[in-house]
Amino acid sequence: MSQDWLLKVDNLSVRFQSRGGDAHAVEGVSFEIQRGETLALVGETGCGKSVTARSILRLVPEPPGKYVAGSIKLNVEGKGVVDILSASTKEVMAIRGERISMIFQDPGKALNPSLTIGSQLAEVFGQHRVEMILESAGIEPARASRAEKRIAKQRASFVQLRFFQLTRRSKAAALQKSIDDAVARSLADTGIPNPRKIMKSYPHELSGGMKQRVMIAQALACDPDLLIADEPTTALDVTIQARILELIQDMQKRRGMAVLYITHDLSIVREFADRIAVMYAGHIVETGPAQEVLANPQHPYTNGLLGAIPHRRTPRGQLAAIPGSVPQLIDPPEQCHFASRCQWAAEACLGHVPQLHTIQPNRKVACFRFEEAESLSVAKTDMPIPAEISGEARR
Amino acid sequence: MQIRDYLLRRLALLPVIMLGVSVIVFTLTRFTGSPVGIYASPNMSPDEIAALEARYLLDQPIPFQYAAWIGGLFRGDLGWSGVSVAPVTEVIGLKFAATLELAIAAGLIAVFVGVALGTLAGVRRNKAPDHVARLFSILGASTPTFWFGLLLLVPFYLWLDWFPLGRSTPDIFSSIIHPTGMYTLDAIIALSPVAFFDALRHLVLPAVVLAFGAMAIIVRMMRSSMVEAMSEEYVDAARAKGLPNKIVIRRHARRNALLPTTTVIGLSFGFLLQGAVAVELIFRWPGLGQWVTSAVLAGDQATIMAYVLITALIFMTVNLAVDIAYAYLDRRVVLGG
Repeated sequence: MSQDWLLKVDNLSVRFQSRGGDAHAVEGVSFEIQRGETLALVGETGCGKSVTARSILRLVPEPPGKYVAGSIKLNVEGKGVVDILSASTKEVMAIRGERISMIFQDPGKALNPSLTIGSQLAEVFGQHRVEMILESAGIEPARASRAEKRIAKQRASFVQLRFFQLTRRSKAAALQKSIDDAVARSLADTGIPNPRKIMKSYPHELSGGMKQRVMIAQALACDPDLLIADEPTTALDVTIQARILELIQDMQKRRGMAVLYITHDLSIVREFADRIAVMYAGHIVETGPAQEVLANPQHPYTNGLLGAIPHRRTPRGQLAAIPGSVPQLIDPPEQCHFASRCQWAAEACLGHVPQLHTIQPNRKVACFRFEEAESLSVAKTDMPIPAEISGEARR
Repeated sequence: MQIRDYLLRRLALLPVIMLGVSVIVFTLTRFTGSPVGIYASPNMSPDEIAALEARYLLDQPIPFQYAAWIGGLFRGDLGWSGVSVAPVTEVIGLKFAATLELAIAAGLIAVFVGVALGTLAGVRRNKAPDHVARLFSILGASTPTFWFGLLLLVPFYLWLDWFPLGRSTPDIFSSIIHPTGMYTLDAIIALSPVAFFDALRHLVLPAVVLAFGAMAIIVRMMRSSMVEAMSEEYVDAARAKGLPNKIVIRRHARRNALLPTTTVIGLSFGFLLQGAVAVELIFRWPGLGQWVTSAVLAGDQATIMAYVLITALIFMTVNLAVDIAYAYLDRRVVLGG
C-alpha cells in the first residue's frame, strides 16, 4: 500500500481549550483511505468522530480547537502529497469542495436559509470552475475582463451586475446561462426532478430528503476524490434514509470517489462500508474490514456496541447496554479509556494507554488482551485475560 | 404581490390607529388645564379671557372641542402655535424637515458604524476588536445624550471652533432656495458645494451625538447575532465549499445576522426621535424636539398635540418599513395579520 492511499491521517490529535482544562477530543488517530474505498468511522456521540472528519477539511475552529499533533496527507493526483494541516489557507481552500467535500448531518441547517438553492450551488462553480463557466459562455478565460471574471466568480456587487447587464446584455445573459446550466446539471445528476424550479427555491421550501440531495449535488459538483458524509441520514425520515445512502453509493460507483462515513448507525456500515474504524473517547480502538469486524468484534467496546443493537430475537428488556458512560475528555488519565466500563479490565489497563496492535492482516485492535506482558513491562498477573482469536475471525 | 397586499392592509389600518392616538393625546393634553393661557396676556380682563375662550370653542363640552380639533385637522388646520407665533401647519413642515435630516444622518451613522463594528466584534470574538466594540456599546448605552453632547461641544465648538451651532450660516442659507427644508439635500439640488459643506459642518456634531446611543444598541445586537450566525452549520458548509473567509462572513453569516438587527434598527429610530429633543436643544437645531420643548414650557397645547401626532405617524411608518425589509431579507417570513 505504498502510493495507493488517497488520504492518510497520521497520529492526529485535536484538543479544545475550555475553562476546566484541555479537552482531548481526538488523540493519536491514524487511518488511511484508499481511492474509491468506503470507510466508516463509528462511535457514539462525543467520541471525536465528527472532529476527526472536520479536521480533514481543517474546519475545526481555532481557537478553541487546536491541532496539537499529527498530519493529514492528501495524495492529489498529478500534484503530489499535501499536508492539509500545514498547508497555506489558499491551498486548503483549493482542496475544500474540489478534492474533498462534505455533507452534513442536518441539511436544513447546512443550507443558508436566506440564499436560493441555485445561488448556493453556483458558489461552488464560482470558486472552483471559473474557467469552465467563462468558456461555456463563449469567453476566453485568458481574455476575460475583470467584470466578467467577477460575475463568473459570483463576486460582483449588485450595482456592478446591473451595470454589466445594461451595457453588455448578450454577454451577461450568456454568463448567467452558463452558471445556471452548470447548476441545473449537477442537480439533475442527483435525481432531483425539475432542477430549474428547485434552483429558484429557498431551502425552507424543500423537504429534508430534497435538501440532502441538494447538499450531495453541491458536494459532488466538482467531482471530488473524497466525500465525507457526517451522519448524512440522522436528521432524515427513515423512508428517505435508504434512498439517500443508495444515491451516495451510486454516485460513488459512477465517479470512483472514496467515501468516509461518520456514523453511529451500524446498519449503514454493514450495508455500505468496506472498512470500519471504531472510535472511543478520541481513540481508534479497532479497525478492519467491515464485515469481519461486525461478525467478530475483538475490542470489548465494539463488542458492547454490537450487543446494544436491538434484534428480532432479543427478548424485551434484555438489550445489553454498555454499563457506565463515556469518560471525561478533559485531561484524561494515562490509562485505557474504556477500562472503567470493561469487564476484562485489569491492573495493566489502568496504568497504560493501549496502542493499535495488528492481530491479523488488515485488523488492528487497541486492547491489552491482545498484547504480551513483556512488551509492556508489567507483571503477568496484572494483565487482563488474553483473548482467544476465534476461528471465524481467522477465516 | 403578497408584499403589496400586506402593505395595502397596513396602510388602511393607519388612519384607524391615528384616530386612537388623537383621542388619547387630546384627552391627556386637556388634563393639563385650559390651553387659553398661551393666547391670553396678564393684563386681560376676565371678560376678555371669556371672549377668547369662546372664540377657541373652549367653553364648549370636551367632545365637541375634540370634534372641532379633528375637523380642523382634515381641513389642514391644527390650530395656532403660540411659541412660533404662526399656524401649526405652517411651521410643522420646517421643523419636521430639520429633525428628519438630523435623524436620517444619525441613523445612517448608527447603522453603518454599528453594523460594521458589530460584525467585526462577532467575528473576532473575545479579541481586541470585540473588547473595543463592547466598551463602545456600554459607553453609548449608558452615557446620557445631553452630557455626551456637551462633552463634544466643549472641544470641537468652544476650543477648536470646527463645527458651528445652529443649522446654517445666514449668508449661505439665503444664497440658495430650500424646497425640501433639509439643507444638505437643498444644497445638492442647488448644486452648491459651499452650501453643502456649510450644511454638513452644522450637521456632523449633532448627528454623531444623536447616533451614539442608537449605535450602541445596534453594535450589541449585531455582535450577538453574528456570534450566533458564525456557529451555524451553514457557515461551516460554506467553508467546506472552499469559499474564502471574507465571502463566508459577508454572504453567509452577516446576511443572516442582519435579520434580528433590522428589528433593532427600526426600534432605535424611536430612540433617535427621543434623543433629538436633547440634541436639538444643545446644538440649537430648530427641529421638532426644540419646538416641542418650548411648547411644553409655554403650555402651547396645539403644538404639543401636533408633535405627538407626527411622532406617532413616523413610528408607524418606520415599523412598517422594518416589517417589509424583514420579509425581503428573510424569505421564510410570511407577512400577514
